[in-house]
Amino acid sequence: MADNSASSGRLKYEAGFAREVYGMENGSYLKLCMQCGVCAVSCATFKIMDYSPRRLFALVRAGRKEEVMKSNTFWMCTTCLMCKARCPRGIPIVDVMHDLKGLALKQGYVNYPQAAFYQAFWQDLAGRGRIFEGGVTARYFLKRGPKDFGKIMAQKDVGLKMLSHGRLPLRPPKAVKGKKELMQMVAKARELEQKGAN
Amino acid sequence: MAKKIGVFICTGCSIGEALDTEALARVATKEKKIPLCKKNAFLCGRQGAELIKQDVVAEGLEAVVIAACSPRINYDVFDFGPSTIVERVNLREQVVWSHPADDEDTQAMAEDYLRMGITKAQASELPVPYLAENMVKSILVVGGGLAGLTAANEAALAGYRVVLVEKEPFLGGFAGRMYKSAPSRPPYTDLEDTPVAGLVADVEASPLIEVHTKTTVARIEGGPCLYDVTLEKDGQPSSFRAGAIVVATGARPYDAARLDRLGYGRYANVVTGVALEDMAREGKIQRPADGKPVQNAVFVLCAGSRDPGHLPYCSSSCCVESLKQALYLKEQNPDAGVYVIFKDIRTLGRYEEFYKKVQNEGVIFIKGEVTAVSEDGSRNLSVEFADLLLGERAEAAEVDLVVLATGMVPSTVDYAEQGAEDCPAGNVPTVQQPVLNLAYRQGPELPALNYGFPDSHFICFPYETRRTGIYAAGSVRAPMDLAAATEDATGAAMKAIQCVELTSRGAAVHPRVGDLSYPEFFMQRCTQCKRCTEECPFGAINEDEKANPLPNPTRCRRCGVCMGACPERIISFKNYSVPMIGNMIKAIDVPEEDEEKPRIVVFACENDAYPALDMAGLNHLGYNAWVRVIPVRCLGSMNLVWVADSLSKGIDGILLLGCKHGDDYQCHFIKGSELADIRLSKVAETLGRLQLEPDRVRMVQVNIMDYDKVPGILDDFAERLVEIGPNPYKGF
Amino acid sequence: MRYFFYPGCSMEAGAGSYTKSLEAVARALDIELAEVPDWNCCGATVASSVIGDAPAQVMSLRNLAMVEGSGLDVVVACSSCYMNLALANRRFQNDPRFRALATKSLAAGGMQYRGKVRVRFILEVIANDVGFERIAARVKRPLKGLKVAGYVGCQSVRTIPWEFDDPEQPVALDELIGALGATAVPFPLKARCCGASHTLPQGEITSSSCRDILESAGEARLMVTPCPMCQLNLDAYQSEVNKAYGTNFQIPVLFFTQLMAVAFDLAPSTYGLKANIVAPGPVLAQYGVAV
Repeated sequence: MADNSASSGRLKYEAGFAREVYGMENGSYLKLCMQCGVCAVSCATFKIMDYSPRRLFALVRAGRKEEVMKSNTFWMCTTCLMCKARCPRGIPIVDVMHDLKGLALKQGYVNYPQAAFYQAFWQDLAGRGRIFEGGVTARYFLKRGPKDFGKIMAQKDVGLKMLSHGRLPLRPPKAVKGKKELMQMVAKARELEQKGAN
Repeated sequence: MAKKIGVFICTGCSIGEALDTEALARVATKEKKIPLCKKNAFLCGRQGAELIKQDVVAEGLEAVVIAACSPRINYDVFDFGPSTIVERVNLREQVVWSHPADDEDTQAMAEDYLRMGITKAQASELPVPYLAENMVKSILVVGGGLAGLTAANEAALAGYRVVLVEKEPFLGGFAGRMYKSAPSRPPYTDLEDTPVAGLVADVEASPLIEVHTKTTVARIEGGPCLYDVTLEKDGQPSSFRAGAIVVATGARPYDAARLDRLGYGRYANVVTGVALEDMAREGKIQRPADGKPVQNAVFVLCAGSRDPGHLPYCSSSCCVESLKQALYLKEQNPDAGVYVIFKDIRTLGRYEEFYKKVQNEGVIFIKGEVTAVSEDGSRNLSVEFADLLLGERAEAAEVDLVVLATGMVPSTVDYAEQGAEDCPAGNVPTVQQPVLNLAYRQGPELPALNYGFPDSHFICFPYETRRTGIYAAGSVRAPMDLAAATEDATGAAMKAIQCVELTSRGAAVHPRVGDLSYPEFFMQRCTQCKRCTEECPFGAINEDEKANPLPNPTRCRRCGVCMGACPERIISFKNYSVPMIGNMIKAIDVPEEDEEKPRIVVFACENDAYPALDMAGLNHLGYNAWVRVIPVRCLGSMNLVWVADSLSKGIDGILLLGCKHGDDYQCHFIKGSELADIRLSKVAETLGRLQLEPDRVRMVQVNIMDYDKVPGILDDFAERLVEIGPNPYKGF
Repeated sequence: MRYFFYPGCSMEAGAGSYTKSLEAVARALDIELAEVPDWNCCGATVASSVIGDAPAQVMSLRNLAMVEGSGLDVVVACSSCYMNLALANRRFQNDPRFRALATKSLAAGGMQYRGKVRVRFILEVIANDVGFERIAARVKRPLKGLKVAGYVGCQSVRTIPWEFDDPEQPVALDELIGALGATAVPFPLKARCCGASHTLPQGEITSSSCRDILESAGEARLMVTPCPMCQLNLDAYQSEVNKAYGTNFQIPVLFFTQLMAVAFDLAPSTYGLKANIVAPGPVLAQYGVAV
C-alpha cells in the first residue's frame, strides 16, 4: 500500500481527468465520495492494491490520470461487493471499478495479466455465447506469451487433478443457438450506450 | 408567639416496620411539645392528605411537618395553600431505605431529623412576594437581525409589547444581506430566499412592536420588570421601562486581515465569504482585481477557525455557508472548477443532503491545510496546500478567486491592539464592546462564558446569560446558522416572557422557579464589607457610594450566596436563614463521648447532592447512620458560622457536598460551590486556633449521577473521623 | 413447486456435480426445475468491464426474456450468475433510462422483456419456499456431530443486501446445516471473498485468500458452499495453499446440495462426490457413506 506516502513533487489539481471519469457509466457516483475510507478497510484485496479505492478516487479528483490508470487497484478488485454494501454514500464502487477496467482496456493500459484474462474471457464468450474454461485458459496464455510459461507449469498439478476428477471438460459446450441475435443485442446496447454517453 | 404546628408521620413504604414510630411521635409531643402529632399508613393517599387538610383548617395550623418521603416528591400532594408552611422530614429515602431496620442508630437518625424538621418549621415564616411600583411586562430586544426579529415577532405573537432596537438604519442584520440561504425544508437540496424579508414585514406591521433603527442603548438600570432603559438616537436620549431583555446583537466575522498567510489584504482576488455574499446579492461574482469572470475558485474553510493562533473554536455555520456559495459559482458557471479545502466538513442533520447535492454539482472537496497563496503577473492566484488524504503537497493553479470562510466573533467584543491582555475570543486580543451599558455594580456588560460569548451553562441555564432577565439569542450567544438562530431566538423570547410573568408576581425565575422568598438585609448592622455585592453570581446587588448594598430583588435568583458570604449574618430569607440552620444543628442529639457514636453534619446542595442521596436510598445503598443531612439552596449559601455552631455542639465532622466547580462548573448558581470552597480554605486557620484538626471539615464535589459513590464518600469521612478521635468540645 | 433453472457455464462444466446434486435434491423435495431454453453466459465479473455495464446486463436479460411468458421464477445456483441476472433485472425495473436502452437492444435481436421475472438464489428458495422444517423432515441420515463450515462467499448475499440474509454475517446456510443434523461451526470469514477469478492470472492472490478462509473455519471437518467458483478455489487449490504456506489443510469442500443429498440418503451416484478433489470419504465414512 502506498497510502500516506508523500512524494517530493507537487501535485497539481486539474479537473480534466475527473470529468472523463465522471462521464463513465457509473463514474458520476464518485462525486459523492467523502473519503471516509470504509471501502479500503472492507476490501478483500486491499493489501495487494497499489492504492486503496479511497485513495484511487482522491487521485481521480486530483487529475492524476497516469497514476490511476497504471495502478493495479481496479484489476485487483474481485467484485466481492463488500465495499458496495458498506459505502455510506451508496457508491456502487464495484461498478466504478468495472468502468475503470473498461477505460484501461480501451486506452491500452493492459500490462496486468488480468487485462489479458478479461480479453480472453470476452473473446471466448463472444465466440459461443457460453464460456469454455479450457478455451479461456488457452487464449489467456496465448496472449501472455512465453513470460507466463512458468505459470502454466505451476498449475500443471492442479490441472491434472481436476482432469482426473472430471472437473476439466475437454470439449467446449454447445454454442448458444441464438448467438447471432445475442451479439446483435450486445452491439445495439453498446451503440446506444455510446450515444447516451456523448 | 409560638406558631401552631402539626406533625404527621407516615408509616407506609416500610417506615412503620423499620422504626419505632411511637418513640418518634414522643419526640414531637414530649420533647418538642407539639400537641398535634398523627400517624397514617398512607399519608400521600387521598385520605392521608385529607386528614392533614382537615387539621390545618380545624386546628388552624400555621405549619405542618410531614415525616415521610423525600421533599423532592409528592410536593403537589403536600401543598396546603399559600398560608401554610410545609416542612418535610425525609424518613424514607435517607433513613429507612438506606439504613437497617429495627436499629438503635437508624432510630436515632429518624428522631434527629424530626427534631431538625420541627425546629426549622418553628423558625420559618411565610414569604411575602416582592412587588414594586410600576412593574412592566414589555420586552426590549436589542439587535434587529434574524434572531432579534424572530424574538420580537414571537413575543408580539404571544401578546407582549416589544421595543426593538437596531443600530443600523435598517432591519435585517447579517442574514438580511445574504443572497440566498441554505435549504431548510425538503428535499434539503435547494437554495432558498432568506426568511428575513418576511420577518421584517411582520415586525413592521405588528401593532405591539415599536422599532427604533439607528438607535443604541445608552443605559439600563434596575432589574426584571423594572428596567429603566435609555436609548440614544442621533445623540438624542429617550427613556422607557422594560420587563426583560433579549440580546440579539449577532456576531462579526473574524478579521481576515490577520490571515495574511492566506493572502487577504495582499491580493484583491482573495475575499471573505461575506464579500462573496455581497457580490452574489449584487448579481455578479467576478474577480475583484479586474472584473474578469471566475473560472476557478478555491474555498478555504476554517480560515482562522479551529486554529490555536486565531479562533480556537468551530463557528458551526461556515461549512454550510461555503457549500451554498460554491453553488452560487456553479449556478453562474456550471463549468467552473470549484475546490473546497476543508479540515472537516460539518454538515449536521439534513444538511448532509445539501452536501451531497453540492458534490453532485461537481464541486471537488479536498481535506487539506493551505500553506500559501500567491499571485502571478496576470493576477491569477495559486493556492498551495498539504493534501492530507493523499499525503502530498498540492497546488491549485490559475485560480481566479479564493474565498475565506472566516469564523464568528461575538458582537459583544471587538479586536484590540496586540498586547492587550484580555483575550476572550481565543488568542486574539479583544476588548468588551458597549452593548447594554448596564448600571450594575459588577460591570456594564454581560459576563462571557467561553471565547467572549455571553453564554451561560446551557444545561443549567438554557438561553440565559448570567444576568437575570437578560437573554442572549442567536450568534451573539454561540456561533450558529440561521435555523439555529431562529430556534434560539424563539427560546429566548419564551424565557423573557416567563421572566416578566414570574417577576411581576414576585416569584423567582429559573432555577428556583416560583420561589417567593428573597433576601432581606438588616442594614443597621452592615459593615459595608462588599462581600455580598462582590459575590452575587448574578450581579443582583448594587452599591451606593458608601458601599452599602442596594439589593435588586427582581434580579435575584434566591440562591443565598449573599447569605453565606455575609460575616455579620444580616442577610436572611423568610424561610431560610443563618440562625434557622444553626438551630437545626443545635437540635441534633449528640451522644456522649464514651458512647463512641460520632455525629457528622452534611450540608448537601439541593440541586445535585441531595437528590444523589435520595437516589442512593432508592437503590437501597447503605451508609453510616452518623450523618445528619441538611439541604442547602446552594453550597454558596453556607455560612461559616455553621461550622462553628456544629463544632461547639460537639459534632465530630462537617461534610460539604456540592457541585463541580471550575471552568466546566455544574453549579446551578454558577460559582456557589466554588465560593464555598474558598470560604472553607479559610476555616482551617480557625480550627487550628480551637485546637481542632482541619480534617474535621471536608468538601466533596458530586453530581446527581454520583449516587453510587455517595455512600463511599460518607463512609470514608466517618472512618477518617474515627481516626482523628472525638470532638473534644463534646458536652461543653 | 416449479421453477426455471439457469445453470450458467460453470454448472455445466467444472461444477457439474453441483448441478447433478441439485437435481437429485430437487427431485427428493418434489421441486421441478426446467432449464432456461438456449440460455447464454451472464458475462461473469468480466463482461461489464470489457463491453460496459449496460451491454453486459442486456445479455443477462435475454435469459429472463426467454421465460417471461411462463410466469415462473428463475432459480440461479451460481453466485456470480445470480448477481448478474438479479442486478440486470433490478436495474431494468428501476432505471427508466436503462429500461429503454435494454428494450431497444433486445428488440435488435428480436426479443422482448417487460421486467416481470423474479430472479432467485437457490439458497433463498430452499430457505423460504421449501423451509428448513421440511428439509429436516426429509433427513434420513442425520449428520449428528459433524462440524461443518458454511462458506457462503461474497456475491450471493451482497447482490441485494438484506434481500434474504445478512450481507456480512449470513445465517441461512448455517440454519440449513443445522436442519441436516450437523453443527455449523463459528466461521468469521464465511462471507469473505475467495479470490475468485484471480486464480488464472495471479493464483497467489487466491491462495492467500483461501488460506485465511480455511483457517477461519476452525474445527470444521467439512466445508459446504453454494458457489461454483468458491468450491473450485477452495477444493482444487487447497494443495497449492498447503504448498505455499506450509499448512496441512485437509478440509473437503462440498456443494451444500451434496451434503443435503448425503443427509437425505440419496444414491451416491446421483450427487457426484467423486468430483471432489480433497476426498470427503474419510469424514463421511462414519455416517456410512461410501465414496
